Amino acid sequence: MVTESSSNTSGGKFRNLYVVIEHIDGKLVPVSLEMLGEARRLMDYFNRRYQESERVVAVVLGYKVQDLCQQLISYGADVVVYAEHKELEYSRNTIDTKVIAQISRDAGLAKQISPEYIPPYIKPRYMFFSADSIGRHLSSTVLAELESGLASDINKLVISDIDFRHEHKTKGQTIRYERTLEMYRPDFSGFLWTTILCLDNKNPEIMRDYHPQGCSIIPGVFNAIEPDIAREGLILQYKPTIDPEDLKVKVLSKQLLKKKIDFDSHRSIVSMGRGIKEDPEQNVKLIEQFARLLDAEIGISLPLSKRLYQLSDSINSKYMIPERVIGTSGSKVAPSFYIATGIHGAVQHIAGMKESEFVVAINPDENAPIKDESDIFINGRMEDVLPIIIEELQKLTPIVSSLME
Amino acid sequence: MVNVAVIVKLEPDFSEGNVSYNPDGTLNRAETKSILGPHSAIACNAAFYTKITYGSRISIGTMGPPIADSALRKAQELTDADEMNLYSDRIFAGADTLATAEALRSGIVKMLDGNKIDIVFSGHRASDGETGQTGPQTAWKLGYTFLGNVIEVNIDLERNYVIVKRLVTLQGFDGIVEEVEAPLPVFITVDPSYSPNYRTIYQRLAFAKYRKEAIARANNYKQFLKIYDSKSLGVDPKLVGLPGSPTIVYRVEKIPKAKASRKTQLIEGQDIDAIKSIVPKLRPIVS
Repeated sequence: MVTESSSNTSGGKFRNLYVVIEHIDGKLVPVSLEMLGEARRLMDYFNRRYQESERVVAVVLGYKVQDLCQQLISYGADVVVYAEHKELEYSRNTIDTKVIAQISRDAGLAKQISPEYIPPYIKPRYMFFSADSIGRHLSSTVLAELESGLASDINKLVISDIDFRHEHKTKGQTIRYERTLEMYRPDFSGFLWTTILCLDNKNPEIMRDYHPQGCSIIPGVFNAIEPDIAREGLILQYKPTIDPEDLKVKVLSKQLLKKKIDFDSHRSIVSMGRGIKEDPEQNVKLIEQFARLLDAEIGISLPLSKRLYQLSDSINSKYMIPERVIGTSGSKVAPSFYIATGIHGAVQHIAGMKESEFVVAINPDENAPIKDESDIFINGRMEDVLPIIIEELQKLTPIVSSLME
Repeated sequence: MVNVAVIVKLEPDFSEGNVSYNPDGTLNRAETKSILGPHSAIACNAAFYTKITYGSRISIGTMGPPIADSALRKAQELTDADEMNLYSDRIFAGADTLATAEALRSGIVKMLDGNKIDIVFSGHRASDGETGQTGPQTAWKLGYTFLGNVIEVNIDLERNYVIVKRLVTLQGFDGIVEEVEAPLPVFITVDPSYSPNYRTIYQRLAFAKYRKEAIARANNYKQFLKIYDSKSLGVDPKLVGLPGSPTIVYRVEKIPKAKASRKTQLIEGQDIDAIKSIVPKLRPIVS
């Protein structure tokens, strides 16, 4: 085996973990603190393991954002770089991308961030964004600008040394890639994990450095650290260069969207998944009836929002919509009662309902992961089980149900 | 004349009854047929809207194996496209989003005989890769303003601007509809909730006329089809396919089952009395 130390780890050409912070109306989006928490844990490990002193750098763009900086330090950032400008008040992809790229490449700034490292500095080692409607696109354009690799929708991260052989990247040789970020993403099924790596091309014919190793992180999966207001850190203001051409893109108005589905105002939630498949129309009607008796809101699993079944338009437009999805790609809920019917229990779904107080699951597969998350598991099909419960409920609550009808 | 491009993708058909999985939970690609991706179809609807409303010219592009021409045919049926382009070469295989964006960029600049494309539409994300990165990365490489999660598109033909509405949803905050104006050219990814609104009689008549023409064209789609390989696209082979991909898929594994977090009472589906016995537990909710 040929082992070769990764050339880019010496001299600190690529260093630090940059976390792109999101905020709205002066408040931090929770995922920003979650990313900082994970960044803190990873870099503490990194610095111990490799005897380095690389930093967690929070990057904030905006107008009147100084107040956020101290908070970011207390949540684990070593350094906060904030670009303060009236034109950065609203997020606009082109301007934001350019400013983040400027910050990422600025050698003078890198010197201030970690004066003990000897130049040259080129780019960050790692970079985190949020996998939401700002960060998903921003991560894509920033990494396209920085010409490096990006993995999306990550829910687990590990730093390790990897011995790797690849036809193109290593020309068939086994080479050790040190300090590699293993980026885990759950796939569309929710049951498989794919590990993505961003690796330099070491093959002499296509030699190329790929840094930063970038990823977008699913909101709600990592834990923020306990804030420590005594924590000290460096806060640096950055003066961005803004191209007047880019200011032609204008945000004309912002309108708050009224939530159509309000899970929080119901004590119970009935949710449905692919288990409706044998008679979708009829099963949705059963669930409607059941939910009405419990005065419950109705949720769905992610696959149902992709409209997998032949259903009437009225049911499709009422129920098979992203607003009803419970899980990491939808809402996180914590009702007194959660009744999962025909839901297998992909990790993303579990993450959205596990805080519920009392959980009943109805599923014909006794090995379904949802079983371990339920207080009562009824091993049966919803079309067989629900009519029994509905009949019994009607007996117990004749007055309420007649009012609800 | 507004020149519009749509970037589409041939994807596995994930709809129930059509999708097939291997015992280990991975997609059975041999048994699952491929179709024009559902998000690609939504992007096509947005492009067709610009044809009906502004009389735009439409070019469709896709990167994929030769059979991806079936996605182009379907896309033509949805858009009445004037031209279709298939970017197909063995060396494109295994590309990550950055390398895919490079091939698509090279294709888009060649569309409509090299006339500048004013608006590129693409889907929100593919249902197999699900990254949502290819659109914005292609936009960046083209130097186009990127607008994501778009739910409404209007073009100001006098100023050469688009005015769009886009959906912004952030964890823990209410959703926002943002109205944005941007000078052409722009690259738009269309939100899954997009639905074209044909209000005027003129639009409805145009819709019927172009839809008829689209079906006739799609029946002879090969007449409108151009096929490019890496050479005719003029791409640098180091920037596409596996050599041009910073990222690789290192490992695929089953997500380990989490430890049981609750003590579960198991009731068999045939045990009607046991099922009935849980109802009083639900009762406090109603009373």
